[in-house]
Amino acid sequence: MNRVLACLFWLAVGLVLLFITLPLAVVVAASLSPSSAVTFLPWEWTLDWYGALLTDRWLQPFLLSVRIATLVAAISGVLGILAAYAIVYERIPGATAIMAGLLSPLSVPQIVKGVAIVLFLSIIGLQGILGTPALIAAHVVLALPFVTRMAATSLANFDGNLDRAAQSLGATKRQRLQHIVLPMIKPGVLSGVTFAFIISFNNIPLSVFLVRPGDTTLPIAVINYLEYSLDPVMAAVNVASMIFILAVIFLFEKIGGFSAQLHGGSK
Amino acid sequence: MNVNRCLPLCLVLALGEAPGPAFAETLIVNSYGGPYESIIEERIIKPFEEKSGIDVVYDAVGSAAQDYAKIKATKGNPGFDVGVMTASQSLQGCKEGLLEKLDAAAIPNLGKLAPRLSEVAGPCGAVHEVQYMSLLYRTDKLTSPPTSWSSLLAPELKGKIILPTFQNIMAVFLLEIMSVARGGDMIDNVGPGFTAMAELARQSIGFEQSSAILESYIKDGTVWAMPFWNGRAQLLIDQGVPVDYVRPKEGTIPLIATLNVPVGAENKQAAMAFIDFFLEKSRQEAWVTGYKVGSARIDIDIPDDARKRQITTEADLKSLKLPDLARVADKLGEWGERWERDVVSQAK
Amino acid sequence: MSTIALAAPAVMPAAPARTSAYVVLAPSCLVLTMFFALPMGVMIGMSFTDGETLAPTFAHYQRFFSDGLSLAGLYRTAMMSILVALSVTVLGYPIAYFLARSRSRWRAVVFALALAPELAGVVLRTYGWLIILEDRGFINDALMNLGLVASPLPLSKNLFAVVVGLTHVVLPFGILSLTTSIQGIDPNLERAAQMLGASRLSVVRHVILPLSVPGIVSSLLISFTMAASAYATPALLGGARFKVLATMIYEQVLFYIDWRFAAVMAVALLVMMLTVSFLGIRYEARRSARRSNREGERS
Repeated sequence: MNRVLACLFWLAVGLVLLFITLPLAVVVAASLSPSSAVTFLPWEWTLDWYGALLTDRWLQPFLLSVRIATLVAAISGVLGILAAYAIVYERIPGATAIMAGLLSPLSVPQIVKGVAIVLFLSIIGLQGILGTPALIAAHVVLALPFVTRMAATSLANFDGNLDRAAQSLGATKRQRLQHIVLPMIKPGVLSGVTFAFIISFNNIPLSVFLVRPGDTTLPIAVINYLEYSLDPVMAAVNVASMIFILAVIFLFEKIGGFSAQLHGGSK
Repeated sequence: MNVNRCLPLCLVLALGEAPGPAFAETLIVNSYGGPYESIIEERIIKPFEEKSGIDVVYDAVGSAAQDYAKIKATKGNPGFDVGVMTASQSLQGCKEGLLEKLDAAAIPNLGKLAPRLSEVAGPCGAVHEVQYMSLLYRTDKLTSPPTSWSSLLAPELKGKIILPTFQNIMAVFLLEIMSVARGGDMIDNVGPGFTAMAELARQSIGFEQSSAILESYIKDGTVWAMPFWNGRAQLLIDQGVPVDYVRPKEGTIPLIATLNVPVGAENKQAAMAFIDFFLEKSRQEAWVTGYKVGSARIDIDIPDDARKRQITTEADLKSLKLPDLARVADKLGEWGERWERDVVSQAK
Repeated sequence: MSTIALAAPAVMPAAPARTSAYVVLAPSCLVLTMFFALPMGVMIGMSFTDGETLAPTFAHYQRFFSDGLSLAGLYRTAMMSILVALSVTVLGYPIAYFLARSRSRWRAVVFALALAPELAGVVLRTYGWLIILEDRGFINDALMNLGLVASPLPLSKNLFAVVVGLTHVVLPFGILSLTTSIQGIDPNLERAAQMLGASRLSVVRHVILPLSVPGIVSSLLISFTMAASAYATPALLGGARFKVLATMIYEQVLFYIDWRFAAVMAVALLVMMLTVSFLGIRYEARRSARRSNREGERS
C-alpha cells in the first residue's frame, strides 16, 4: 500500500515537472527548427532564427526594455530603501498605515492599474508622457511595493544590537547607516531590485496601454508580432530574452548573493 | 568583486541612447505587419529615404482601429507622424479634430486622385490604395468557383471557412453585404445580416483578427473559402497557392485605405512629404504592382491583367457598394455587442 | 499577493521620528499618488459620470449588469480563475510536499525546475502552449498524423486552453506558498502518527492535509487573483470565443474607445478581487482567533 502510494507520489511529481517544462522545451525546439512550420526533428536544427534577432526590429525593443527595467530597478530600489528606512528604522508615527498604503497597489490587478493610468494621463492633459516616461513610472508603481516590502523585512530582521553597539562606540548615524545597516540589508534589497528588473522587463498588462509607436518594449513587440505570425523567430526571441534574464539574475546574485534567501523558502 | 566595479559601466551602457544616426530627421510611420511591411519597406520607404534623406521608423503595431484609439487617448499626439488607416478613421478623426486636414498645397499629388474616392475619405485622409472584399477559395478543393456570398454556407464548406473578428473591419463589411444579400440594408436594417452571420459562424472553424493569420489557414488547406481583401488574395495567387478570388454577384464593399497625419504629429512637414511621395505616379505604380491593390490615381500605367482585377477606374468604383462610413462608425459599439451575442456565441 | 502582510517590525534603536524621515518617504508617496492613487480615483470617478455632461450617473453600471455580455465575461473570469486556483493547488501540492520534506540532492533540481518558468516571462510560456494546443499545433498534428482523429480537437481558443496556460503561469507562486506552509508542519507529528500505526495515506489525510490548510488557502487566493488579472494568456489562448474581463477592458479602451465602460469593467474586476482577498483575510483572522481561543482554554 505504502509503496503504491510512494509510486503514485513520484509519478505525480514527475508529471507536474513535465507539465512545467513542456512548453519551455517546445519553444526551445521551435527556435532551432529549420522550417517555418514548427517541427521537432532533433537532427535538423539551425541558428538562423537567432540571427534574425540581430535587427532593429528586435534590438530596439530589447534595448528599450533593458533601459526601462534598469531605471525601474534603480528608482524603486532607492525609493524602497528610503521608505523602509523611514517606516522600520525611524519608526515614524502611523508606520503600519503608511506601509499598508505603500503596499496597496499590490491588491489592484495590473490591467486595472494600466487603464487607470492611461485614462488619468489623457484626461488631465499629460498624454505627452505616454511612452517611455509613463512606462517607467507605471513599472515603478508596480515594483515599488515588492522592493519596499523586501527592504522592510530585511530591516526588521536586522539585529538592532549591532547598531546600538556601534552607536555606543561613537559611530555617527551616517557611519552606522553606511557601514552597518546598508551592508546588512543589501541581500534583501538586491533581491527586491532583481525582482523589480524582471517584472519590468517582462511586463505586459501595464505596458500594453502605455507604449508609444516607435518605442515598444520587447514583450509588447512579441505579442504584436504574434498577431501576424507564429514563426520560429518568436521562439528565438523568447528564448533569447529568457537567457538574458538568467544572465541578469546571475549578475545580481554575484553582487549580492541573495539566493540563500530564496532557498530558505521565504517569499 | 569585479562585478561591483563594472556595474556602473553596465548601467551607462544600458541607459545610453541607442546607436543610430541622430542627425537625420526621423519620420515615424505606423502601419501593419506581415507582407504589407516588407512591400512598403522595399517599394516606398527605402526610395523615400534615399530621395529625402529622412529616416523612416516603421511601426507595425496595431490595427487601424487600435491606432485610432491611440490617437484619441493621446489627443492627437500618438507618437507617430503618419498613420496608415482607413476612410472610416479619416472621417471620424476629422470630425473629432484629431487628424490634420490635408490640402493640395502641401501635398500636390492629392489633386491627382479621383475626386469620388477622395471624397469618401474626407479632407483628412489621403487615399493611397483601394481594395475590395473578395471571396477567396481553394481551387483544388472547390469543384466550381463560388458566385455568391451565400456559397460560404454550402454544406461542403462546413468546418472549412474562417471568419474575421469584429475588430477587423472585414467583419463589418461581410455583415453588411450579407445583410444586403438577404434583403436588409447596410445601416438601419442589418438584422438579416446578423442572421446570416450566425449561420456562417456555425459553419466556421472560428475567428481570427489579423489578415496574416487568416491567410495562413487557407494557405495550409485547413480552410477552403473565406472573405479576404483582394490585394492580399492576389499576393497568395502569385505565391503559387492554389487559390482564386471572385467578386460575388451581390457585389462587395471597397476598403479605402488612407494615410493620415495626427494633429499633434511632431514632424508634419516630413509627413506631408511622405504622403506626397506615396501618391506620386511612379510610387503608386510600384505599390499597385507590389501589393496588388487598386489606386485612386487613374493616370497610372500598369499591366492590363493587374488592372482587370483591381479597382482603378471610376466605373469600377461605381460598381461597389459603399456604406456611409461615418454612420457605420457610430454603430460599431451597438453592432459589436450584437456580434458577441448573436454571432460569436454560435461558433462551435 | 494582496494577502501577504508585513512582518511586525523588530525593535529598533529608539530614535525620535524626525522630519527627515518624512522627507525620505516623500518620493515614494509622490510616485504612488501621481501614478496610482489619483489614476484609480479618476477612473472610479469616470465610471460614475456621464461622458458628455460629466453629471453623475449609474448608466454605465446599468449597462454592465443588463447587456448580458459583461456579466458573461465576469462569469468566465471567475470560472477560469477558480479552475486555475484549483489546478494550481492540486498540481503544486506534490511538488511543494517534496520541496518541504526531501533532503535528497534532487531537491535543488526540482526547486529550479519548478521556479524556472517564472523567469521565462508570460509570453514565452503562452507561446509554448499556443504551439502545443493550436488546431495545427503539436498535439493535433500528432493525433492527425497517427490517424487517431479526423479533425483537430478543440484544444485552443477556449476555457481549457486558458486554464492550462494560466495554471502554468501561476504554478510557481502556488508551489511557494504551499511549500512554506508544509515546512511549518512539525515532521515529528507525521512520524508519531506513523509509529502509532497510521498508514501513509491516513497520515496524509488526517495530519498533513488538515495542517496545511492555511497554505492551501493562500495558494488558492494567490492563484485566483493572479488568474483574474492576467491579460496576455487569455488574450492569446482564448481568442475571440473566450473573452474575460481583462481582454474586454483592453477591447473597450483600444477598439470601442469607450473609456467609461472600460472603467466600469475595471472596477468590477477590482471588486471581485478585493472580495476574494477579503474572504481570505477573514478566514485567516478567524483561524488565528480560534487557535488563540483554544490555546487560552488549554492554559
